Amino acid sequence: MIIYYNHKLKSRDKVIKMLKTLKDIVRKSSIHVCIVNCGGCNGCDVELVACLSPRYDLEQYGIYVHNNPREADVILVTGAVTEQWRENLRRIYAKAPEPKVVVAVGNCPQSGDVFAQEGGRVLAPVSDFIPVDAAIPGCPPRPSEILEAVLAVAPGAIAAKGRAQDKCE
Amino acid sequence: MASFIHYLYDFATKRWLDGFFNAKSKEDIAEKPDRFRDFPTVEKENCIACGSCTASCPSPNAIKLIRDSDSEDAHGLVYPEINKAACIRCGFCSEVCPSEPKTLFCGENHFIHEDFNIIPSKRKYIVDDYLCIKCHKCQDNCEVGAINLVDNRMVVNQSKCISCGKCLDVCPVKGAMKGVYIANLEEQKEIIDLTVKTLEEYIESRYDDFKEIHDDKLFLAELKFNPLYEKSLEIINDEELVSDVLDKAINRLNIRLVIWDYDKCTNCQLCVGECPTGAIKVDDTSSVIRDPNKCLRCSICYQTCPFDVVSYYSAKFNIDIKDGEKVIHITVKESQLAKRRA
Repeated sequence: MIIYYNHKLKSRDKVIKMLKTLKDIVRKSSIHVCIVNCGGCNGCDVELVACLSPRYDLEQYGIYVHNNPREADVILVTGAVTEQWRENLRRIYAKAPEPKVVVAVGNCPQSGDVFAQEGGRVLAPVSDFIPVDAAIPGCPPRPSEILEAVLAVAPGAIAAKGRAQDKCE
Repeated sequence: MASFIHYLYDFATKRWLDGFFNAKSKEDIAEKPDRFRDFPTVEKENCIACGSCTASCPSPNAIKLIRDSDSEDAHGLVYPEINKAACIRCGFCSEVCPSEPKTLFCGENHFIHEDFNIIPSKRKYIVDDYLCIKCHKCQDNCEVGAINLVDNRMVVNQSKCISCGKCLDVCPVKGAMKGVYIANLEEQKEIIDLTVKTLEEYIESRYDDFKEIHDDKLFLAELKFNPLYEKSLEIINDEELVSDVLDKAINRLNIRLVIWDYDKCTNCQLCVGECPTGAIKVDDTSSVIRDPNKCLRCSICYQTCPFDVVSYYSAKFNIDIKDGEKVIHITVKESQLAKRRA
């Protein structure tokens, strides 16, 4: 019984592996996105997850949420930077390969929002730590606003940065 | 087998193939629903620079009051500026904005509308918890069950009340059940003003009669009610409202009278600097003059004057029926405040 089950699984594995490689080939040209929550309330992250839902369906626009900074083209930063993220944010940014684009999602990475109270312990804005290319206002922004911003900024910025790099070399 | 064929058939249709190769979200994902509360919009001209929007804002950097630079013929406008990078679209600023019309607009659902009673009534019935003895007579007599005990207090449910006034009749304590007139507030104020002025003028005109009354002795006088009543009717022609307002105002009134005897004044000008409202002034001929319209009746001049120029009295009133006619009983008494004697 078990052997039969394993056998069945193996053949299914093969199909899945094939599909995965096919997906990888297709996704090679899409925008890879890494979400970094550096100490927010999760509201923006929920909206980002809503972008993956069938209603908004990120992948039809060629955006792939990979959550791996080593392969990321776009880093989506949410949350007002807390003490623990002071160094880690720079490390994540350094890991992403050039050209890379940083998009600040929501108000927290831009101004600290409601957390930036007198005597508060947040280190916003994010632009003090890493260069930010685009910002989406809102607390939280609508999924469609996030989509719009990523599509508006990512291809152009990547191309521009790529060209700038070529010139340097 | 049948379902397999069905699927094959379904996959082969053009509609399915179109959907598969051109999968796209519909355009409506970018549309915002009607109830969506977007960033506030600012109407600069309406702003009164009160700062309540900044005080109500939960986000520290979201609203700033800014002032334009002055031009030659006008002052610069003061108005709130919304920082979109910090605004959380809560709509509090729009909710608290007191200017008429509002300066900040943010979502239609955030304007507070007063709840209204469909029965057009001039009175609102309220229980005074301080006086209420909780006899439940109003509750038992209420036809619509609008009066109930909530948190050990008798409370009138305003949305159920039909303003029949039965509770007012059955209440055994005077003043515990109140039928407050909520209409014509300005006219009510005018009537109270008129009452205070007439009574004060009448007492001052009889100053010679109570000049010599000191210490605990009382001066009693009477004034006819009808002339005052008819004058009030000229302000608003509503007999029920006028008699109610006059009744309540006169029975509770406690007037303080400051009367100056200019013959005794030596122009020492001690009182001039002491007056908190600047009602006492020195005119060209260097004699001191008091302006009754500015005076607060605070008694500071009375306590300062060493020459007994100022006298200070308190008066109380009561409405009574005498010989089938309404009269106002007046009681005047010298104030017992400490005084610097000459």
